[in-house]
Amino acid sequence: MIGLERIHAKVGDFELEDISFEVPQGAYGIVIGPTGAGKTTLVEAIAGLVPVTRGRMVLGGTELTHASPEQRRLSIVYQHAYLFPHLSVRENVGYGSASSRVTVEMLERFGLGEVAGKNVRVLSGGERQLVAIARALARRPEVLLLDEPFAALDPRRRVTVRRELRTIYFERRFTVLQVTHDFHEAGLLGDIGVLLDRGRVLQVGKPEDLFRRPASPLVADFLGAENVFAGMAQPIRDEAPDWRAGADPADVEHAVAFTTGDITLYALGHVIPGPSHAVIRADDISLSRTAAASSVRNQFRATVVELAPAGAITRVTVDVSGIALVAAVTTRSAQELQLAKGVEVFAAFKATAVHLC
Amino acid sequence: MAVALAASLFLLFLAAPLVGLVGGGGVEGVRLLSSDAELRASLLLTIGTATFATLLGIIGATPVAYALARGRFRGRAIVAAMIDLPLLIPHPVAGIALLLVLGRNTALGSRLSALGLQITGSVTGIVCAMLFVSAPLYVSAAREALDRVDPRFEGVARTLGDSRWRALRRVTLPLAWRGLLAAAIVMWARAVSEFGAIVILVYHPRVASVLSYERFTAFGLKAALPVAAVLALIALIPLAALRALRGDDLLPRRRR
Repeated sequence: MIGLERIHAKVGDFELEDISFEVPQGAYGIVIGPTGAGKTTLVEAIAGLVPVTRGRMVLGGTELTHASPEQRRLSIVYQHAYLFPHLSVRENVGYGSASSRVTVEMLERFGLGEVAGKNVRVLSGGERQLVAIARALARRPEVLLLDEPFAALDPRRRVTVRRELRTIYFERRFTVLQVTHDFHEAGLLGDIGVLLDRGRVLQVGKPEDLFRRPASPLVADFLGAENVFAGMAQPIRDEAPDWRAGADPADVEHAVAFTTGDITLYALGHVIPGPSHAVIRADDISLSRTAAASSVRNQFRATVVELAPAGAITRVTVDVSGIALVAAVTTRSAQELQLAKGVEVFAAFKATAVHLC
Repeated sequence: MAVALAASLFLLFLAAPLVGLVGGGGVEGVRLLSSDAELRASLLLTIGTATFATLLGIIGATPVAYALARGRFRGRAIVAAMIDLPLLIPHPVAGIALLLVLGRNTALGSRLSALGLQITGSVTGIVCAMLFVSAPLYVSAAREALDRVDPRFEGVARTLGDSRWRALRRVTLPLAWRGLLAAAIVMWARAVSEFGAIVILVYHPRVASVLSYERFTAFGLKAALPVAAVLALIALIPLAALRALRGDDLLPRRRR
């Protein structure tokens, strides 16, 4: 496991401040953040390569805040493989290997048998990264730190390398912390997501919760939520079966009316009445040419303002009483609905798709 | 056009005296090596003391260069400035400074003398003077060589189980060895050519530069020319070695 308690670390002018989160034993943690967020500094602090100035760090159940890197039983893989250029592929993989048998096993698993005797300088970028991953795994680490390990790979190889890494991960169940800026990858791989920006943790949680329930408009915006609105939230006192009279609205999830501009959205949330933000992901919004008779609480008449097709997905911007709403629909649906600029449509989404923060 | 002319004049200015020197005294200097025992002894002394000073420099100055390249310690800027200082002062001044510390009548000099280690007028003094004026060049070039090795190589090695020393030995030094060797060659060349500091501290035994100066003052240009030409020819050895070393760049560009 990786447990950080109020960790501070400084590199030059950059500082990691008050970092706390836990990745349980055998879990796959993901650190997401923009460029300059401090993601690499964070993994280097965990590796013991950047000194921690304050706080407490537990790795694999042992307090190792100030331990040297070699005492931590972990491996690190950087985006740029950092293979030792004076050594062969085999020597690189065997550098910190648990045994020569493990070295051979790793070379074979990653398809490096044929190039084992070659100097790493002659390898392609993808092969280099494979060697770096094999080298890290050959050490049999308890914690594997991955700093954008797939970024340098072409898409096809990315899928195969990721799959092989996952297979080994499920076999051995070491703890992983991977840095990425790829939201898709984060959602695909992670048990725990840590959102980092400017040296601070913005939110920790399951990756899907980061996407569905961002803690702030900043998080929502960073994670690529297209529809973030500022407005006023007001729990609805009604006859609905979920209404519990007298309960604190901050404790109980209520039906909430959220007013932004001239429209009112219906949502569910633990909301204290007052200013708030509503986040709706574009793929939660459906479009139709006629009003749908369904359970959706939010349905609005809208006008198509813009169509942005990108392969199989088309992002459609519609105007709802002066408010721009972006919906992601399949390009096939967009064609079937004959969507075009100026066309009248109905935009619909469930109350559960509206996240208030 | 004007730039090309200026560049040509500059190159001519650098090359002409050396070509004149080697052309005028080179053959005679090489011929003298077999007949002039004093010149031979002087050259052997110069090469021997320069080599010894360089070895001392490698042992003592490599850790300093490493600390300056990697360390983020308090007073780092002061240490760096202190090391550069001998490069900036006139070399006779460096000799005087050494004399003040290591001279016969100083506290340290008299103690060393009591232990049988004479500095002034001795081979040890020559090594001291050479070390003082040329080691800063080594530190500077070695620091640059170590700086070119991205610390992340070392970091990866450490996460793979190496101690700091083991990572240095297995990764950093093999990646920096060309630069370190080049630094040692520069130091050696500087030590061989030293005159100002040595002549203050040790007039006898005479290194080649002092011998050349002595023959110039006693017998004139004609007598000094072969000795000077041989020294210039010796300088070609490190020059050729440096050119050969620069042929291959092992390291990828450093990433930050």
